[in-house]
Amino acid sequence: MELAGVLNYLVGFFIMVGIYGIFSLGLNVQWGFTGLFNAGIAGFFALGAYTTALLTTPAPDAAQVEDFIFGGNLAGLPYLDWGIDFWFILSLAAVALVCGIVAYAVGRLTLRLSGDYLAIATLGIAEAVRLMFLNEKWIANGSKGLYRIPEFLGDLVSPANYDYLFLVVVLVVLALLYLAVQRVVNSPWGRVLRAIREDEVAAQSSGKDVYSFKLQAFILGGIIMGIGGALYAHHVRFISPITFDPLLATFVIWAMLMVGGSGNNRGALLGAFVVWGIWSGTQFLPWFFADPNFRFFMIGVLIVGVILIRPGGILGETRRVSRVVGASSHTPVKEGGNPKE
Amino acid sequence: MAVPTPILEVRDLVKDFGGVRALDHCTLDIEPGHITGIIGPNGAGKTTLFNVVSGAMRPTGGSIAFYGRRIEGWGMHRTFGLGLVRTFQIPREMQRMTVMENLMLVPAQQMGEKLWASWFRPGRVAQDEDRISTQARDVLEMLTLSHLADEYAGNLSGGQKKLLELGRTLMAEPRMVLLDEPGAGVNRTLLRNISKSILLASAERNVTFAIIEHDMGFVMAMCDQIIVMANGAVIAKGTPTEIQNNPLVMEAYLGGLNRGSP
Repeated sequence: MELAGVLNYLVGFFIMVGIYGIFSLGLNVQWGFTGLFNAGIAGFFALGAYTTALLTTPAPDAAQVEDFIFGGNLAGLPYLDWGIDFWFILSLAAVALVCGIVAYAVGRLTLRLSGDYLAIATLGIAEAVRLMFLNEKWIANGSKGLYRIPEFLGDLVSPANYDYLFLVVVLVVLALLYLAVQRVVNSPWGRVLRAIREDEVAAQSSGKDVYSFKLQAFILGGIIMGIGGALYAHHVRFISPITFDPLLATFVIWAMLMVGGSGNNRGALLGAFVVWGIWSGTQFLPWFFADPNFRFFMIGVLIVGVILIRPGGILGETRRVSRVVGASSHTPVKEGGNPKE
Repeated sequence: MAVPTPILEVRDLVKDFGGVRALDHCTLDIEPGHITGIIGPNGAGKTTLFNVVSGAMRPTGGSIAFYGRRIEGWGMHRTFGLGLVRTFQIPREMQRMTVMENLMLVPAQQMGEKLWASWFRPGRVAQDEDRISTQARDVLEMLTLSHLADEYAGNLSGGQKKLLELGRTLMAEPRMVLLDEPGAGVNRTLLRNISKSILLASAERNVTFAIIEHDMGFVMAMCDQIIVMANGAVIAKGTPTEIQNNPLVMEAYLGGLNRGSP
């Protein structure tokens, strides 16, 4: 009994680490490599989660509906019943499309802003997205949210064991995204992104269309975040606007990337593990220490500690020429080798 | 022999910053294959000229033609595409990228700069990268920076950064390079190195140079054409000897000697 409980906790824990790892990976594309200060992760999180929920969740009982709801039912469509839950892949593709289009539009509006101004704009847009889902009840049931979001391959295993299966799903998606991102950030495309992060004007004078590359990075990051949001929705199976509060949907993810090491994808994943570990693990502390405010305080202490001791994060960025060429690449950065110090 | 057609034609170029007119109907030609020096007192508008010509700033008025093509108001990445490349007074290297990466960044139209190609055409991308890295190693050798290939650019000395900046322009296989004070803050040994590289690029790669520089020894030795600017306009043009004997130039530098000051 005791062992099964621990195991269940761990499975749930690693599902969340995997999902937050996806967010962290998306933010790394935008901030870690390109230097785009996106403070609106929650916006893409929400869009991904709501898109998949609206496409796949049957409309709730009339008694529980606040207002009209268009609730699609991709999962119930007979021609998608091919023995496997094909709707899941279809829905993820739709999430990628929606988040890509929104990222494009937001990027067109905001990416000419620099640094802090971009942060303010994206934070505002993310809140606008959340408030839209809250107030426009006809879209997604307002504050009562969407529930009974279907499980991918839910028929295959008993509900008690479902999390084991979903952990595998999350890890597979995470691995695919990780490999896809690794490949492009280590290619000349990623080299241009890092050049933009280092000095935008110099990148421009080297003939790079800075705006276009920023837009591409913003869109890729937004799509990745949206997919993370979709997985979250199918895991928790209930979403409402309160889920996408900036604290847990944006700033925790920033903490993960900063702690793990921005500019390093393995660092992004490690950060998700460490920060979620502290956030989740501290709930078992006695009385006062299990208080959510105290647990957030612990994350704050962690951020300050990492910034003071290892400003580049636990795993800093690695020095490389080009992994495509393979020669003399990725020697770890020497201690104190950061010229900005 | 026919009179050579200028590679760069600047006509009546005006640039205002609020109430300050930095360029005041500036008109000049630069001929291909030459190393042209641009000199003038501080505030003459030399760097503004480079900023406007390279596309970093939009002109208030006037026209710029590069190889007969009107380019005023273009962005920097578009003028770069025509082979017009500039450097900065204070070197702008990518600090947390290696010297090698700084160079490999530059060539245009790299296959691997396209997202889809990086995912689905790794073979072609690797081919491109091999070619570009060879090119970068050649440039490093010419600049005598080979031993620093894998060093972070931010860790180089000021002079080495100037060399790296010159190297970046060479990686672009440019037709014309605008150098903004390549000699500022560089020791004599490195300066000789820079001069040698410029002369080599001019002779072997047929690159046209326009150089802003305050070190008169450097300008007189390197340049076959000199353009003198003051108050946003060109006041003289000629060979180094002609310029040295031009009273207008003396006046611009030393300030109205023959204007009957008290």
